[in-house]
Amino acid sequence: MALQTPTSHEQEWREDLQRVGFVRKLLAGRRWYGTDWWLVAISAVMVLGFIILALFPSLFAPYSPDAQAGPRFLAPGASPDVPVLVSLASSSISGLSDLEVPAGDPRPSVGVVRGVPTAQALNDQAQALNDELSGTGMELRPRIARFDTLEETLQAVADGTVLAAVVQSTEYEQVAGDYPTVAEGESITGGVSSEGGFILGTNQIGQDVFSRLIWGTRIALLIGFSASIIALVLGVPLGLLAGFRGGKLDRILSVVMDSLYAFPGLILAISITAVLGPSVLNVIVAIAVLYIPTYYRIVRGQTLSVKEELYIEAAKSIGARSSEILRKYIYPNVIPSVAIIFSVNVADAILTGAGLSFLGLGLPPDTADWGIDLARGQGFIQTAWWLITFPGLAIMLVVLAFTMMGEGLMEIFNPKLRQQ
Amino acid sequence: MEDVLYSVRGLNVRYATRSGDVHAVDDVSLDIRRGEILGLVGESGCGKSTFGKAIMRMIRTPGRIDSGELWFDGADLMTYSEKQMQSVRGGAIGMVFQDPMTSLNPVQRVVEHLTETIRTHEPKVSELAAIARAEELVEKLGIRRERLDDYPHQLSGGMRQRVMISLALALRTKLVIADEPTTSLDVIVEAKFLDLLRELRDEFDLTILMITHNIGVVAEVADRVAVMYAGRMVEIGDVYGVFARPKHPYTVGLLNSVPNIDLAAHDLYKMEGTPPNLLSPPSGCPFHPRCPRVMDVCAVEIPVLQEVVPGQATACWLYDQVGVTGG
Amino acid sequence: MVENLVEVVGLRKWFPVAQGFVASLTGVPKEYVRAVDGVTFDIRKGEVFGLAGESGSGKSTVGRLVLRLLDPTDGKVVFDGVDLVSLSPEEMRTLRHRMQVVFQDPLASLNPRMTIGEAIEHPLKIHMPQLSGEDRHARVLQMLDQVGMVPPDFFYAKYPHQISGGQRQRVVFARGMITAPDLIVADEPIAMADVSVRALLLDLMMQLKDEFDLTYLFITHDLATAKYVCDRIAVMYLGRIVEIGPLESVYTNAQHPYTRALLDAVPVPDPKHRRTEPLPAGEIPNPINPPPGCNFHPRCPIAQAGICDGMEPVLLPVDGDSEHLVSCHLRTGEFQDLDPLR
Repeated sequence: MALQTPTSHEQEWREDLQRVGFVRKLLAGRRWYGTDWWLVAISAVMVLGFIILALFPSLFAPYSPDAQAGPRFLAPGASPDVPVLVSLASSSISGLSDLEVPAGDPRPSVGVVRGVPTAQALNDQAQALNDELSGTGMELRPRIARFDTLEETLQAVADGTVLAAVVQSTEYEQVAGDYPTVAEGESITGGVSSEGGFILGTNQIGQDVFSRLIWGTRIALLIGFSASIIALVLGVPLGLLAGFRGGKLDRILSVVMDSLYAFPGLILAISITAVLGPSVLNVIVAIAVLYIPTYYRIVRGQTLSVKEELYIEAAKSIGARSSEILRKYIYPNVIPSVAIIFSVNVADAILTGAGLSFLGLGLPPDTADWGIDLARGQGFIQTAWWLITFPGLAIMLVVLAFTMMGEGLMEIFNPKLRQQ
Repeated sequence: MEDVLYSVRGLNVRYATRSGDVHAVDDVSLDIRRGEILGLVGESGCGKSTFGKAIMRMIRTPGRIDSGELWFDGADLMTYSEKQMQSVRGGAIGMVFQDPMTSLNPVQRVVEHLTETIRTHEPKVSELAAIARAEELVEKLGIRRERLDDYPHQLSGGMRQRVMISLALALRTKLVIADEPTTSLDVIVEAKFLDLLRELRDEFDLTILMITHNIGVVAEVADRVAVMYAGRMVEIGDVYGVFARPKHPYTVGLLNSVPNIDLAAHDLYKMEGTPPNLLSPPSGCPFHPRCPRVMDVCAVEIPVLQEVVPGQATACWLYDQVGVTGG
Repeated sequence: MVENLVEVVGLRKWFPVAQGFVASLTGVPKEYVRAVDGVTFDIRKGEVFGLAGESGSGKSTVGRLVLRLLDPTDGKVVFDGVDLVSLSPEEMRTLRHRMQVVFQDPLASLNPRMTIGEAIEHPLKIHMPQLSGEDRHARVLQMLDQVGMVPPDFFYAKYPHQISGGQRQRVVFARGMITAPDLIVADEPIAMADVSVRALLLDLMMQLKDEFDLTYLFITHDLATAKYVCDRIAVMYLGRIVEIGPLESVYTNAQHPYTRALLDAVPVPDPKHRRTEPLPAGEIPNPINPPPGCNFHPRCPIAQAGICDGMEPVLLPVDGDSEHLVSCHLRTGEFQDLDPLR
């Protein structure tokens, strides 16, 4: 007497379901889970984005975070005001070095606007370059022609009266349209001249805010993930043991964990970093210690309830050893809740990390970190608002992304709410 | 012509699941006569519980009533607004659930359950009057007045079920829908509860729809019995008739697979095949893959419920019927 | 002479009721839930022994005590000549492959994170470590085949939630029988299955019993089903056995008023035979404070004051039949002349 094989009908649809790809199931989930699906999807994309930024910051950041690449306090999107060489579009002259001529040849004429410090900058730069050229047979000694207004200077370039002119980039850009034959070349001081070079502006020592933001992702995620992982690796086994064994071990551990948990998080982290000293590793350790009790409590609670399930009794009845029961029966049933908590935990850890560095603790002061940037930008809220806005936004977005993902996953994986 | 209290016409209920739509109640029409106890039997997944909820319009997403008419006491409940339905539920139609522990509020005393129900539906009744009515009610049900001050967890299972009934009676209910009311009860308590149902039906002129998978319970207490399979009604009729001369092969199989303590032990009938997959149900008659008397037409056309002997109707091609399509 | 596989003598299991802090300080006497209160019976090799009763009768607790999933407060359980309580935990663990359990709720008794194949294989891994992985795999497939899960490879990799309730219960049987045990304790094994599937499962159980030479302790509240499978049956009430004997005798010649009430109350799927007998009054009393003497006496239709509320009755033969015993003052022993039925 054998149970009939699943009728061909049933078998068909079972196989169909297995053939349905991951992507289709994913999309089918959209209708079933509704808003939660969107939450998880959007936040997963965001989290992925942040992780990529953290792994490959140099691909995205235009500058090194420590490089003082631009002028100080440049507003977002504004072009830095640099002296720039302009010449006829048809000519091949774009930089000062293009004006080099063999010694003895006629000196090139370069126009400047009278009364503007560009002449001085031109002289300085030319002098510096000339010194470099000594002995090579080339020289850079432009003849300076002065004009009254910017328009006259530019007109002279267009007419060919002068070979090139050096003007302030911002002023030039305003009237560039009137002189279509004139093209902008390089900045003579080496800074970037074109608009949008510093999309989020620069800070008080000329570092690109955008690049610091991207590099800051690396530190933030590093701290967040490392601390959470360490807390998990320590907290989960302790929770399992305490929940399973009970008795004295459970009581002692719970007392310790509860005391740790009762501490206001930031204060505990501050005390630990103050004792250990500033370094990335110490910050990670401090935050990890903070979150061990979270994992401990959750795992212990889950273990206590799973322990009462019938399949645990069944496992005992077939003669499984306690270690086996812990490993094969309790652990796999407890872990899903941990995975979800992990996501929210990373968000929390990043926040705590930023808080620590904001207070000037933990990280060495030359690290590119959002908290540090926030601290430094505090004093300039009114004059340079972008110094704290963008790091603040970054922290908020990362925390939001991880939290949303964790919460969304929690809704999806909670089977009781999803009875079919 | 019997007096019909609740006439259901062409009810269709579907559930959306991750793998598609499930047709939980498939074109079911049923008349519940005034003053009768109608037993609705079937196994898990046949749609009987869904039916019970649907006629109270308590289907929530992902389920929905696709079509049907619900003529209760002359009014089509499908046209009622949610507010109107709320006054019907607990009022004219009461429901008794399987597990009384979870359907009673554990932090409310019994008396509060009753008075709250009374005063929600009849706001003019004062608190004192409501308490007095509650006391009267529970005495009729064999519960001592003093127990009114207890919390649900202090009562036994049987008592809780009786409290549920009293909630149903508190408001001069006409129809009581009992969904597996005795499944969680012990045999002796169950027997007493069924006796009580019969008494109440007589005294309060109640009509009871008893939804259960327990054939014995239906035989014990019902006047008529309806059998459901895969969301469809396959047989309905007078209880003596259906038990003595079941027409539909599923009913025959079901009755023969239930142990009867009175009979000398014989081999129980084992039904072939597996319960239907509601996501892709069989074509034609849903029972045809398991039917010992299957014919060619069964896989093609769905049979329609028709009277085959006076007082008994069945949906089966064995009885020379006109199909859904009329062919 | 038929040998006894299991002998239970004077088994008691009292669960302490948690006391409030103040009560424990002031020396208020502790209260106990008397789940099993003095149970004695034998299970003979090769039989299906039924243990019937309502909720609170203690039948499930007895089942767990027989398997030593719980330790008794008093009394002993002897399995094949070995006193289970005298064994160390490790010795007990290695003995387990000879006594397995089938619980009521198959979904709850299967680890949701283990495939069916892994679940059935696990007892083999524990008790027969000498088998290779392939051997084990083969045995599991064979077992799946024997319980009717065909094709076995298809089901091997499935998770419990992916198969139906009836199929799950078969998996639980398979897991229980894979180590070829002597005794299977089945605690309401078919209660959660659909009506049309129950007969199939019962059939399977009897078939497997013959194939594997098993002995069953069949715990149930459903007397109608018990009639179909049991050889002998014991009826429990509030922690004690009130009647025990061969199935025929107990069902056709029930002596104890509780047994009669229980048999009477079972709903019969035949409207022509509706119940007419009155039911015992009241409800099952609180197991913390059971009535003195015979614990059924407050509800008993034939109880006699002075006799039934005093001494606890013991199981004695009915009409000299040593197989059929009943625990009632008025049916056996010195007070028989007071029995209103005589």
